Amino acid sequence: MTADPAARQRRPSWIEQRTRMGPVINAAMHVRVPMSAKTMYFGGIAMFLFVIQAVTGTLLSLYYKPTPEAAYKSVQLITSDVNFGWLIRSIHHWAANLMILFVVLHLARVFMQAAYKYPRELTWVVGALLFMVTLGFGFTGYLLPWDQRAYWATVVGTEIAGSVPFVGETLLLMLRGGADVTGETMGRFFGIHVLVLPLSLAGLLGLHMILVHQLGLANPKRPEPRVPTKEFEEEPLRPFFPHYIVDELVAWYVLLAVLVVLVSVFPAGLEEQANPLQTPAHIKPEWYYLGVYELLKLVPRIIGILTPIVGIGLLVMWPFLDRRPEVRMRRRKLAVGGFSLIGIALVALTVWGYVS
Amino acid sequence: MESELAPQPDAPEGPPAEERVVVHPPEDPSPAGDDGQGSRTTGRRRFMRYLGGFALVSTGAMILTPIIGFLVPSKSGAASGGGKQLVGTTADIPPGAGKVVALGSKPAIVVNTEQGVKAYSAICTHLGCVVTYNDMIGAIQCPCHDGHFNPTTGAVVSGPPPSPLPAITVSVEGDQIFLTEA
Repeated sequence: MTADPAARQRRPSWIEQRTRMGPVINAAMHVRVPMSAKTMYFGGIAMFLFVIQAVTGTLLSLYYKPTPEAAYKSVQLITSDVNFGWLIRSIHHWAANLMILFVVLHLARVFMQAAYKYPRELTWVVGALLFMVTLGFGFTGYLLPWDQRAYWATVVGTEIAGSVPFVGETLLLMLRGGADVTGETMGRFFGIHVLVLPLSLAGLLGLHMILVHQLGLANPKRPEPRVPTKEFEEEPLRPFFPHYIVDELVAWYVLLAVLVVLVSVFPAGLEEQANPLQTPAHIKPEWYYLGVYELLKLVPRIIGILTPIVGIGLLVMWPFLDRRPEVRMRRRKLAVGGFSLIGIALVALTVWGYVS
Repeated sequence: MESELAPQPDAPEGPPAEERVVVHPPEDPSPAGDDGQGSRTTGRRRFMRYLGGFALVSTGAMILTPIIGFLVPSKSGAASGGGKQLVGTTADIPPGAGKVVALGSKPAIVVNTEQGVKAYSAICTHLGCVVTYNDMIGAIQCPCHDGHFNPTTGAVVSGPPPSPLPAITVSVEGDQIFLTEA
């Protein structure tokens, strides 16, 4: 027994002596969280879903075969023969959908609270890139089961990319690996889905988290001063660890419960094997592309293609266009109103696309 | 006890960070009256900077060229065999009916209309889905975005397709239907 308890407390642990990571971990556990900050845990849940996707995706890749001849059968094998295969595949399917939903909710929350304003402009830009990478995951992962829906969604999706002015033809050829959607396309999509996008997302997510850590969370009631004021310095804060982290963990568990229910009640299905000579009747893309699908029915092709491109460009550049320091929602009528209108139009188009 | 983070009233307040003007030294700071050593050093520095930039750009090009080249497909897949191909008989496609057939690696649609047997590329001109013949409404229809085409001419009747379906040469010999690939 050590005589001096204080000396014992000061002695670093076995691990600490061999890593000296204590200061790094301590620094990581301190994030500025104003009492009035309300994140609704959307971003944290999206990150948690990415971890689920990385784990389930790695497991699926052990059985999946990325060729048109073998892909469909390997997905059938995973679903019907492999132990817990249906569960792992369904979790991957539902977590992908939820990840897109929560990234969109996180984006909407940050917009509404004007958390993209000084000094968080770059955090927003990195976040917008993360949103695009997430959509890319959905697009590339969709083809992999090689069923009818997968095949034709990819035909239309790559055709849309091919209609982009000036670079479309090259883009189409690069995406498909030829003129048509074939095994070459599958090889490319598989490589992008399991290597290029996960590495990009991990890198961007790391950068996003570093920025959030360094800048802290935004106060939705007051703009951040360019020179620290007394009011800013004395703002009441909430401890990041354990208070905020524990709340976040509770949110993750709730999400996990929702995921289990969805997976059990609506397991991921599989349509007929892809047939390049027959487009099935009433084929539609996944819900997150239904808005664009319906728009393409209503307006000339070029407008239907350019509208989302311009929208994404505006989204990325938004912090540099809206430079007023005001953060309160009721004093940002134009930005909040415009964003809400676009959101309502997108939801309306999605519902219309679903029922039409 | 006063907190370390409390504002220091006596501390001199500088201008805001973005208002501070940083004065950079001039590009070529050769002191007057030196023996040319300064300008020679600057010249060497500038040369090294150009050399560094060149090395950076050429390394980038060296890495990117094979990557981009690798991504360009080795064959376009657009090439087709050409020639005449038997795709069915008039018994398969009676008057008032239509059918999607394979013409080489591409789908084609054959419709037996009142004006004779017609054939078109079955790839919708909107976004590449394969069209079908809807005998209930007597039109060629795209299942993706609901485009309709005239089975006699291939022209767009309604919906978003921007152009007609490209026609394919058809010849009927006895009861056999042949299509000729372009």
